[in-house]
Amino acid sequence: MAHPTALAREHGAAPYSRGPVPDAPTLEDAPLVRGNLSFHDITELVAGHTEKKTPLGWFFAFSLALLGLGILGLALTVLIWNGPGVWGLNNPVGWGWAIVNFVFWVGIGHAGTLISAILFLFRQKWRTSINRAAEAMTLFAVACALLFPTVHVGRVWVIYWTLPLPNQMSMWPQFKSPLLWDVFAVSIYGTVSLLFWYVGLIPDLATIRDRAVAQGREVRAKVLGVLALGWTGANSHWRHYERAYLILAGLATPLVLSVHSVVSFDFAVSIVPGWHTSIFPPYFVAGAIFSGFAMVVTLLVVARKIYGLQNLITLDHLEKMNIIILVTGTMVGFAYITEFFIAWYSQVPYEMYAFMNRATGPYAWAYWIMMSCNLIFPQLFWVKKFRRSIPLMFAISITTNIGMWFERFVITVTSLHRDYLPSSWDYYSPTIWDILTLVGSFGLFFTLFLLFLRFVPMVAIAEVKGTLPQADPHFYGHGDGHGAGHDVAPAVVADREGA
Amino acid sequence: MIQLDVLPASEVAAERAAGPFARARAWRSGDDREGTPAAAALRASEFLPGAVDDAGADGPNRREFLKVMGASMAMAGLAGCRRPVEQVLPYVRKPQDVIEGTPNYFATGFPFRGVLEPLLVESHEGRPTKVEGNPEHPVSRGASSIWAQASLLGLYDPDRSRFVRRVGEQTDWSAFATHARGLAARGAELGPVTVVLAGPSSSPTAARMRRQFEARFPGVRWITLHPHGDDPAAVALGGARPLARLSGADVIVSFDADFLSDGPDAQWNSREYAASRRVDERGSMSRLYVAESTMTATGGMADHRKRLRAVDVPFLAAAVTTAIEGSAPAGAAAAFAGDPWVHAIAEDVRAALGRCAFFAGPTQPPHVHAMVASLNARFGQDVVEYLNTGATPAEPALTQLATAVADMASGRVRLLMALGTNPVYDLPAELNFAEAMGQVPESIHVGLHRDETAALAGWHVPAAHYLEAWGDGRALDGTLSIIQPLIAPLYAAAHSEIEVLNALAGAPATAGYDLVRQTIQSEFGGQVGGGSFEEGWRTALHDGFVPGTAYPAGAAPAAAPALADLQPVPGDAYELVFRTCPKVYDGAYANNAWMQEVPEMVTKVTWDNVALVSPATAEALGLRSSLNGMWHEVDRLRITLGGRSVELPAWIQPGHPDNSVSVSLGYGRELESDREVSDRGLLQRLFDKDIDIYRPGPVANGVGVNVGPLRALASPAVAAGVGLERVADAYRVATTQDHGSMEGRAIVRMATLDEYRAHPGFAQREEEYIDGIPWQQYPPLWGEENNPDSRPAMTEAMYAENQWGMTIDLNACSGCNACVVACQSENNIPVVGKDQVSRGREMHWLRIDRYYLGEEADPSGMVTQVMICQHCENAPCESVCPVAATSHSPDGINEMTYNRCIGTRYCANNCPYKVRRYNFYNWTKALPLEVRMAQQPDVTVRFRGVMEKCTFCVQRVRTAQQYAHVGGTTLADGDVQTACQQSCPTDAIVFGDLRDSSSRVSRLRQNPRAYPLLGELSTRPRVNYLARLRNPSPRLAALEAPAGAAA
Repeated sequence: MAHPTALAREHGAAPYSRGPVPDAPTLEDAPLVRGNLSFHDITELVAGHTEKKTPLGWFFAFSLALLGLGILGLALTVLIWNGPGVWGLNNPVGWGWAIVNFVFWVGIGHAGTLISAILFLFRQKWRTSINRAAEAMTLFAVACALLFPTVHVGRVWVIYWTLPLPNQMSMWPQFKSPLLWDVFAVSIYGTVSLLFWYVGLIPDLATIRDRAVAQGREVRAKVLGVLALGWTGANSHWRHYERAYLILAGLATPLVLSVHSVVSFDFAVSIVPGWHTSIFPPYFVAGAIFSGFAMVVTLLVVARKIYGLQNLITLDHLEKMNIIILVTGTMVGFAYITEFFIAWYSQVPYEMYAFMNRATGPYAWAYWIMMSCNLIFPQLFWVKKFRRSIPLMFAISITTNIGMWFERFVITVTSLHRDYLPSSWDYYSPTIWDILTLVGSFGLFFTLFLLFLRFVPMVAIAEVKGTLPQADPHFYGHGDGHGAGHDVAPAVVADREGA
Repeated sequence: MIQLDVLPASEVAAERAAGPFARARAWRSGDDREGTPAAAALRASEFLPGAVDDAGADGPNRREFLKVMGASMAMAGLAGCRRPVEQVLPYVRKPQDVIEGTPNYFATGFPFRGVLEPLLVESHEGRPTKVEGNPEHPVSRGASSIWAQASLLGLYDPDRSRFVRRVGEQTDWSAFATHARGLAARGAELGPVTVVLAGPSSSPTAARMRRQFEARFPGVRWITLHPHGDDPAAVALGGARPLARLSGADVIVSFDADFLSDGPDAQWNSREYAASRRVDERGSMSRLYVAESTMTATGGMADHRKRLRAVDVPFLAAAVTTAIEGSAPAGAAAAFAGDPWVHAIAEDVRAALGRCAFFAGPTQPPHVHAMVASLNARFGQDVVEYLNTGATPAEPALTQLATAVADMASGRVRLLMALGTNPVYDLPAELNFAEAMGQVPESIHVGLHRDETAALAGWHVPAAHYLEAWGDGRALDGTLSIIQPLIAPLYAAAHSEIEVLNALAGAPATAGYDLVRQTIQSEFGGQVGGGSFEEGWRTALHDGFVPGTAYPAGAAPAAAPALADLQPVPGDAYELVFRTCPKVYDGAYANNAWMQEVPEMVTKVTWDNVALVSPATAEALGLRSSLNGMWHEVDRLRITLGGRSVELPAWIQPGHPDNSVSVSLGYGRELESDREVSDRGLLQRLFDKDIDIYRPGPVANGVGVNVGPLRALASPAVAAGVGLERVADAYRVATTQDHGSMEGRAIVRMATLDEYRAHPGFAQREEEYIDGIPWQQYPPLWGEENNPDSRPAMTEAMYAENQWGMTIDLNACSGCNACVVACQSENNIPVVGKDQVSRGREMHWLRIDRYYLGEEADPSGMVTQVMICQHCENAPCESVCPVAATSHSPDGINEMTYNRCIGTRYCANNCPYKVRRYNFYNWTKALPLEVRMAQQPDVTVRFRGVMEKCTFCVQRVRTAQQYAHVGGTTLADGDVQTACQQSCPTDAIVFGDLRDSSSRVSRLRQNPRAYPLLGELSTRPRVNYLARLRNPSPRLAALEAPAGAAA
C-alpha cells in the first residue's frame, strides 16, 4: 500500500518542469530507470532493504568490517601509546602513509558532493540514482580522512590547539600554515556535506517512517519520526526543501573545488622540490574527482548487484561515471607530464632532480604504478564496449583507487626523501603499523558504509521518482504514456536475501 | 626518591672529626662548637624548639593546614594526572659558593693516552654537567677533544663497577686495603714475581707512587700498555716528543698519520694546521700531502692524498727522503722512484727548508718514526720541536709482555696487577693472556668497569673517575695540571689508581688529595705561585695549570736508520690494519652511548665496527653492499690470520687502498654490570617499543666484533698476508649518511688557492632564478610590511640589541666530531641506538656532512660540512607550523617552543637543510638515574612527539645577556660562545653579534669566501659558510685531471 506522500508524487506532484521535450536524441533520452518501474515499485525496492530482516551476508560483511575497525583501534592504541616512531617515518620523510591516506580519503570524499551539488546545478538527472550512496561515501571518506591528520601528530591530546579557541595563553593558531587551512577546509566540507546529505534524506526518511507506522513498528517509527523532522510532504515542505537543497548545492559546489585545493596547499606552499608547484590545486581537484568516481563505481557495481538495483543504477549511469573517470584520469595524466615539462623548463636543478628521481629513483616502482593506473588503464574507456563492461570497469575502478593512492605516495614520499642536501637523503619504508592503520581505515569506512546500506535508503527515492516519465506533468495528459504506470509487468525485484 | 639534606648526629660528629679538609662549618653556640651531647641533639633536629607551631586548640595549626592543603592539591593534580609529580626541594643547608641554578666552573684535567687535557668543567649544584677546554691553558685554549667531551657521560655510566670484589663476591675497600697491606708486607718476596700492567700516564704523583711501589716490590715488572702493544714513536724516539707548530709550516707530509683526529696531539695539530691554512690572515697556505692506508679526516683535508697500503708507506717515506736529499732510492723504495707525488714533495720541501713537518702514524714501524724525526730535524727545524719528556726508553712492551706472559703461564708469576688496563681484551690473542692469567695465584684489577679482565681477576677495585678523585698530569707540552674532582665518588668503593698504588705500597692510608699535594709540594714546590705553597697551590687549582712547567726542548733525534731489514710485502698480498677506533678508542669508550652513536668521521657508521676495503678489492672478493630500503645491507668478510678468523661486516670505502683491510679495535666487549634493570609493568611489556638502549644491559655488549683474535705479537698494528673470504650476508649497518656525492650542487663550495686569488668572490654565485634579480633581493615570503625584522615586537623587544649569527669555515673544519658530542652534552640530546639510527632518527642537532669529490675508487678529496639550524631570517619552518610553535626571537634565533609543539613534522619537511630532529619516541623516559644526572639543567628535556633542533645554545645567550643586563653593560664580542664553537679546535665556528660590525662574525661574513647555503631559496640564513680552498702542487695539478670540485 502506498503512502499518501508517495501517492501525491505518483499523481503529478513531481516538480514542474517547463519546456518542450527535446526532439533530438540525447543522453537524457534513454530512460534513466529501467524495468518500467512504478513509483511504488521504487519505494518498495529501496525502502524494503531497510525494513526486511537483516540478511546473513550483511552480517558476514559487517563482521569483516568490524574486524578492520578493531585493527584500526589496535593500531591507533599502539601509535598513541608509543609515539609516531611506530611508523616508518624518519628524518627527511616526516610525512608517510598517514598523510598519503589522508589525501587519499579526502580525494575519495569528493565524488559524493560533486555528484550531488555540481551535477544538481547542471541538471544532470542521472545523478539521482547514485547521489545518496555517493554522498554517504563522501561522509565516511571524510571521517576516515580526518582521522589521519589527527593521529599523525606527536601529541594527539593537544590537537585542539589547531582550533581557534580562546585560551589563557592568548595564543591563536598560526594562520599562515596550510595545515590550519586544512583544518578549516576539511571540517567545513565535512559539515556542509553532512547537512546536504541529511537534507536530501528527509523525504525518504519520512517515507520509511510512514511505512514503519503502517507496519506497526513503533520504535522504528519514533526514531525515524525524529530524524524526519516532521516531514509530511506538504507543498510548503517541498518548496522549502527544494530551496534549501539548491542553496546547499550552491554552497557545496565551491567547497568541492576548495577543499582539495587547500589540501594541495599543504604541499604547494612548501619549498620542497616536487611539492612547490602551482599546478597542484586544479590537478588535485581533478585527481580527487577521478578517485572519487572510481570509488563510487567500485561500491555501486557491487551494491546494485547485491541489492538488485540494476534498474535504478543502470549501465548508463555507470557508463557516465566511466566517462568522467576517463576525462579526469587524462587530466591528471596531463598534469603529471606538465610537471616534468615545467621542471625542465625552470632549469632549477633541485626541481629537475626531484622529477627525474620520481621516474627513475628508488621509488620508480611507485611512480610507474601510478602512471599505469591513472593515465594508461583508464584510456580503455575510449571504447564504448569497455566502459559498459561491468568486470572491466570494476577492475579499472580498483586500479584507479590504487593508482591514486600511489599518486599521493609519490608526491609525499618521493619528494621528501631526496630534497636539497644529499647528506640527508634516506629511504622510507612503512612498518606493520602503517599498513594496519590503512587497513583499519577501510574497516572504519566499510563499517559505516554497511550501516548506511542497512539502515538508510541507499537511493534517493524521491529524487529518482522525479526523473521517471510519470513524473512529467505532461505524462498523463498526452496519452503516449497514459496508464503506463498501471500496465507494467510486476516489478523486477531481484533483491532476494543474499542475492 | 629525594631525601632531605639533613645529617644525623653521628655524621655531624664524624664530619667534625674528619680533619682539616672537611668542610668548614658554622657553629651556633659554644656548646655546639664543643660538641656537647645536648648541642648535638639540637643540631640533629630539623628545627629549633619554638620554630614549629604547637597544635592549637582552635583548629589546625599552620603546618597541618599546609599538609592538608598540599594533599588536596596533590589529589586534585592526580585527577588530571599526565606526568608524575616532581618535587623540588631547596637546600636545607646550603653549601658555600652554590647559587641554585647558577653553575660553577672548576679547572681540572682529563688524563687520556698518557697526556693530560686541561679542562674547565661546569658544575650545577655539585654535579658536573659539561666539559670544556681550559681557555687559559696554552695547549687547549678553550677547545676540547671528543674524548674529553664524552668522558662526562663516562662519569655517569650506569654500568660502572660499584663494589670491590673478591673472586666475584662483593666486599669493601677496607678488606682490600687490609689485603694490600698484607701483600706489601711480603713485597720483597713478591717483587720479582709480580707483573704490573699499567696504562700510559703523565702524572707525577702516579710516577711517585710507582717508585714507592717499586721500592716495596723490588724487581717488579712494570709494563706500560698501548692499544697497539707499543707506541712505535716512543720506541723510536724514547723520551723525545714532537710538538709541531704547523701554523708556521709550508709543507706538511703525513705517512699514514691521522694527525688531525688521532693521537694525543690531535687537538693541538688541528688548531695549528687550521692556522696554517688561514690564507686571509697568513698570506699563504700550507700544502698537505697525505699517504694513508685508510680514509681519515686528515686525508680528507689533504691537497694531495695518496692511498697506499700501510706496508708500502715505509718505502714511500724512504723514497721521499732520498728524493729530498737528491739521491736515488734503493731497494723496495725504488718502486716510487718515478712517482711524481714524491718529486712534488721533494720540490716543495726544498723550497721551504725548515718550514716543513712530517708525521708518521701508529701503523708505521719505529723505523719510519725515526726517519720522520730525522726529516723534521733537517727540514722542519722551525716547525717541529722535540720536547724532552724525561721518560727513559724502555724495552718494547711487546717483548716484555712475551716473557711476562710466558712466566705467568708457567706459574712463575705470583701477583698480577692490571691498573686501569684490560689486558684480557687488549692484548694480542696470540699471547693467550686469559689462560696465562689463570695460572697466576693472585691478581688485582683496577678499572671503571667489570670488564673481561675483572671477570678473571681475584680482586677487582672500582676505579674512581677523574672527575671524582684528585690527581695530576702534564699536558702535551708538559705543563703541569692538577686534576681537581668535582664530585665525591658516585660509588663509595671507587678509588683512584694512586690511592690503590699507595695502599699496595704499604704506605699509610692517605687521601688522594694529600698524595697529590705532597707530590706537587716536593717536586714542583718552587714553581707554583709566588708566595707560600698554599697560595701557589690555590692559584694552580684555580687556573688549572702551573705556568712554566712545560717540558724542556730535547735533543734532535739521530739520523735516519736504513730500512734494510724491512721486507716489502708483495703488491697482491692482503694487509690487515688495526686502528684504534675514532669513537670508542681501544674499547675504553665502548660503554659510552654518545661515542657509540656519534657517526664515524668518514664512513658515518654508528654502533658497529666494519672492515674497510676498497671498491676494487670488494669487487675482487665479490663483496656486495646495498642500500636496501632504509638499511645498508652488507656482506661479511671472514679475515683469517695465523689460523684464527673473525667475521666483520664489509664496508666498501672510497679512497681505501686496494688489497688492504682496516678494522677497528674496541668492539665486541663483554662487560658485567652492577646495575639493576627495573621490571616493566604489564602494559609496558605489551605495548612499549623497545627503544631503551640501556635496558638490554651494558651499552658496549653486543656492539661490533672483537678483532683481538687476529692480533699477533709480531703484527699488533699491521699484518700482511691475511686471508679474506666473502661471507654472503645481509648484515645491517646503521649510518647517518647514505649519499657521499653532492650531485653537482653547490653545497660545499671550493676553489684552488690560485683561483681564489684570481676570483676572491668565487663562492658568491648569483643564482638568478627570477630574471635579472639576484636572490638576495627577492622579497620576503610575507612581504616587507610583515617582515619580522621591522615589526615593533622585534625592534623594541628585549634582547633585540643583539642579532646573532655564525660563520663556519670549511677550510678549517676537518670533521673531528668534537662539536657533535659537545652539542650532545650541552643540549641533552638523546641517544637512540642502532636500530633507530638506521631508521634515520638520530637526534644530533649538529651533524657533519661528508662528501667525496671525484672518482668513487680514488676520490680526489673529501669535504666535511658542519650542519646545524641555519636560523633563517625568512625561515620556511616558521610559516608552516599550524600552532606557531617555532618562531623567531627578537635577536634572530629561530626558536622551538617545545610546550607548544604538537608534532606535525611539517617544519622538518619544509626545512631545506634537514636539521630539525623529531622525538619519535620518548627517548629520555627510561634513562637510568645516573645518566639523567649528566643532563644540563639549563636545557629542557624534550618530550616525545615534539620537534627540536639547534638553538644557537640560547641558554648561554640568555645567561650572558642577563649578566650583562644586571651588570649594566653590553655584551662584548666573544662573551657568548656556543658549545660547538667552544669545543672546536680549529676555530672553524665563530658565533657573535651581527649588529656589532667589529665582531669577528661580522668581519668573517664580509670575507669574500662567505656564502649562505641554499641562499637562492631566499631563506636568508644567519649561518654562513666560508668556502674551502685547496692548495695543489702546481707540478701535480698539471698531471691530475681537474678536481671534481662542485663550485
